[in-house]
Amino acid sequence: MSFLAPLFLLGTLAVALPILFHLIRRTSRERMPFSSLMFLSPTPPRVTRHSRLENILLLLLRCLVLLLLALGFARPFLQKPRAADPSSDTGKRIVLLLDTSASMRRDNLWALAQAKADEVLRTAKLADQVAVFTFDRQARPLVTFEQWSSMDAGQRAGLTMQQVRSVTPGWFSTRLCDAILTAAESFDEKLPEQQTFGLREIVLISDLQEGSHLDGLQGYEWPRDIQVIIEPIRARRTTNSGVQLVTEHDETAAPSSDSGPRIRVLNANDSKREQFQIRWEGVPEAEPLDVYVPPGQNRIFAAPKLAPGIKGERLVLNGDDEEFDNKAFFVQPKADTVSVLYLGNETETDSAQPLYYLKRAFQQTRNQIVQIIARRVDTPLAAAEVQNAHLMIVTESLPEEQVKTAEQFLNAGKTVLFAMKAPAAASTIARLTASPGFNAEEASMPRYAMLAEINFEHPLFLPFADPRFSDFTKIHFWKYRRIEIDKLPRARVLARFDQKANPALVEVPVGKGHLLLLGSGWHPTDSQLALSSKFVPLLYSILEQSGGLKAQRLQYVVGDPVSLVITNGAATLNVTKPDGSTVALPKGDNFTQSDQPGIFTIDAQPPVRFAVNLDPAETKTAPLPVEELERFGVPLKKDRTVETAQREEKKRYLLAAEQEKQQKLWRWMIVAALIMLIAETWLAGRLVHRGPASAEAV
Amino acid sequence: MSLPELTEAPPRPRPDSASTRTVQAPTLHTTPGSFIDPQALMAIKNLELRAKVVVEGFWNGLHRSPFHGFSVEFTEYRQYSPGDDPRYLDWKLYARTDRYYIKKFEDETNLRCHLLVDNSKSMGYGSGSYTKAQYANTLAATVAYFLYLQGDAVGLLTFDEQIREYLPARNRTGHLRHLMLALDKPAAGTATDLSAPLKRIAEIVTKRGLMVLITDLLAPIGTLEKHLIALTACRHEVTVFHVLDPVELSFNFEKALMFHDLESGRDLFINPADIRKEYLRKLTAHNAAAQAICLKLGIGYQRFGIDRPLELALFDFLRERMQRGKKIKRTGSIRTKA
Repeated sequence: MSFLAPLFLLGTLAVALPILFHLIRRTSRERMPFSSLMFLSPTPPRVTRHSRLENILLLLLRCLVLLLLALGFARPFLQKPRAADPSSDTGKRIVLLLDTSASMRRDNLWALAQAKADEVLRTAKLADQVAVFTFDRQARPLVTFEQWSSMDAGQRAGLTMQQVRSVTPGWFSTRLCDAILTAAESFDEKLPEQQTFGLREIVLISDLQEGSHLDGLQGYEWPRDIQVIIEPIRARRTTNSGVQLVTEHDETAAPSSDSGPRIRVLNANDSKREQFQIRWEGVPEAEPLDVYVPPGQNRIFAAPKLAPGIKGERLVLNGDDEEFDNKAFFVQPKADTVSVLYLGNETETDSAQPLYYLKRAFQQTRNQIVQIIARRVDTPLAAAEVQNAHLMIVTESLPEEQVKTAEQFLNAGKTVLFAMKAPAAASTIARLTASPGFNAEEASMPRYAMLAEINFEHPLFLPFADPRFSDFTKIHFWKYRRIEIDKLPRARVLARFDQKANPALVEVPVGKGHLLLLGSGWHPTDSQLALSSKFVPLLYSILEQSGGLKAQRLQYVVGDPVSLVITNGAATLNVTKPDGSTVALPKGDNFTQSDQPGIFTIDAQPPVRFAVNLDPAETKTAPLPVEELERFGVPLKKDRTVETAQREEKKRYLLAAEQEKQQKLWRWMIVAALIMLIAETWLAGRLVHRGPASAEAV
Repeated sequence: MSLPELTEAPPRPRPDSASTRTVQAPTLHTTPGSFIDPQALMAIKNLELRAKVVVEGFWNGLHRSPFHGFSVEFTEYRQYSPGDDPRYLDWKLYARTDRYYIKKFEDETNLRCHLLVDNSKSMGYGSGSYTKAQYANTLAATVAYFLYLQGDAVGLLTFDEQIREYLPARNRTGHLRHLMLALDKPAAGTATDLSAPLKRIAEIVTKRGLMVLITDLLAPIGTLEKHLIALTACRHEVTVFHVLDPVELSFNFEKALMFHDLESGRDLFINPADIRKEYLRKLTAHNAAAQAICLKLGIGYQRFGIDRPLELALFDFLRERMQRGKKIKRTGSIRTKA
């Protein structure tokens, strides 16, 4: 027997009342007159002992009445077996999205996620189709709809779970938006014939950390019948903070400067602690740094100081609950030596000559040491010098031997800057550019000339493209040589003088390299160029153009492609990962397997090391409010199990109500109660009449 | 008040004679079973008749006693001595005995007895077929009748918390009937207040006499002493009949019941088994206190249950008076005239 309103069964507790009343010796309704109560004091009513329960039959009747009433109100009915639900035939298509980002390495999140996945897979009906995707910075199919359909129906869940168990969370950041969109698009797969699916569901099993990227969801047009079910996984301990490197060294700092790297400590929004400690791992003598970061904030600190000569590579944060983001790897940059070959018959100390200014233009920094090798034009050059140099600067006409060297230099794909101090150098240029008719002559002008028509699109002038830096009018040229541009094949004018539009800077490709031809010099007799603020950037720009300045990037985030093109001149390069495994990289390829944080080593001469760190966003482990997803228009469905349970419950209740309505057992209960009541009244009446003694208890 | 006094002359009257003046000290040589059962007595509706039955039964039970001198009779004969007023010579006696006797005025010598009967609601209680009030009234009627037979003046004062009826002490024909009617009136009052009636009677009755107080004394006893003192100070002779129901004395209820106070109307749920001891202790203390007061003031105090035959009560009354007479005689304070 079942009950429609089982709460009314609580009414059966009222049975205790008549029992209690029978136990209490009730105050007699009959009064005994007495002369005076002056010697009497009242006695409180007492509960008689159990053995003195009187009028058992009456008591039983009263209890029965109450029981029957309670049962009647509870609306009992006899349950009949239910017919199978016909609506559960059409299946659903479910995409299971499993978060395998670095933040899932916390605590036992992955075990929970697996358990949830298992639950989803096991509750999938026979007609349902399930695909499983794992995602971090991109979504990867683990089991597709096709694979699911091809599996034996009874073993689908088990086989799929095997696949799920083979996966572990990686070190990548979370791009939730991409994952959801991939999942949504995966529904577009072709359906097997004669199969229709009603609902399409995306079940997202994730820790939904704040650092998940959602921006990609903006403006996505959601198909109608897709629902996203979120199965959030919550960590037990929420205190998490991480350490990241902010910037590398100040590029302009002197090589001897001892300023360490700067670090950012980020504390998650739901952290419970605020005090952490940062120390260099493997450097026991370094003092640890105590930092205070309130929850939800980040602070920037200078890394703990290291004694001179000691190098630290791993910064470790202590004091939070989660380990995965507590290490920052750091590779100390090594200064690169860049050689610039200067050919000219000048002394370094002569301030009227270009070399004097050139020497002072290049400052030594921590990343680069620019070495100017000045040679007289008649001095033969060492082969190594030429080979190592990245840029050659010529100011005078060269003898035959040097011209050949310069040609080789150009053919090797390097750059030669020719600053014409005198029109006589034209012959050398004609040789180098293989244009015999080329000539140059001293230009005549009233006072001075300025640069005009500068090609800011050219990489050389690109740094000056911004209007703030594009003012070259303050550079006056007192003298310049007119270059006959039409004599130079493939020449490209990068800047002109404002008078008569004579070319000022011309780029001529020679062989693989480039010849940059400047119609004037930067020394004071020719122009104000050396003294202007544009001189040094322009030189660096030329140096960069010539390939002398390499963008030395040593810090990467997990998943970033690492550009090894410059280093990768050999046939193959071996890259050793932090876990010791080696990856062979074909020539010219970028390294893409930066899938773990740590220090990677490239087997080159000399070995190159770079650090890969965790995405700082992964440290933001506080749960993302579900409303945030709603804000992006994700069609969320309320908790899957709860809703199903509610629906089931409602259905069951309706069915029960119907059965109860048909049976109407409650009527019989009430009738029985009424009969009992009549019997009770009759019995009580008889007892009252039989004698006051027995009536007392009534 | 007449005091017991041995006289040679007075002729012994027949006990059953209405004109008897002298009664020998009563000694009851009967077993209690030979008395009239009060229950049977109370079946008689007429109060006067009840009194008659008791008194006559009482006479029947009396035997001659060697004790002389106890009398409630006041009329006296004294041998004439020169100087006496010849007006008071009893010539009839002289004719019979040839001796001169001086006859005293009846008015002077007769006993003035006031019956103070408690008529409060508490007196309306009776565990048997009759109440304490009925018993008290019968007792009062009996005493009144007895005294009336002796020619004493009997007055009546019934009271509850205030005075209800007052009949001055007289010995007229028909007075007894008035008295009986007054006694027959149903009780109207509620509480018992002894102080007001005692105070009042002390004010009203200036001539000294006998005061018979019939009550259950179910009232605070605090002021009782003060007013009894007032009475004795007026040289009244006071006797207290403390009547109680046997159930009041034993409190032998068994079941827990709702007890209803007849006087205050208060209801109280009481389990007798629990508080019987306490009740009896309080009652005994109360009674002892009352008795102690009476003893202290030289007041006769009789306490009995209402199942006690009335003859015995009457006997107690007489014996108590006789003993008092003896006591006075021993002390030698002979007073011949009121």
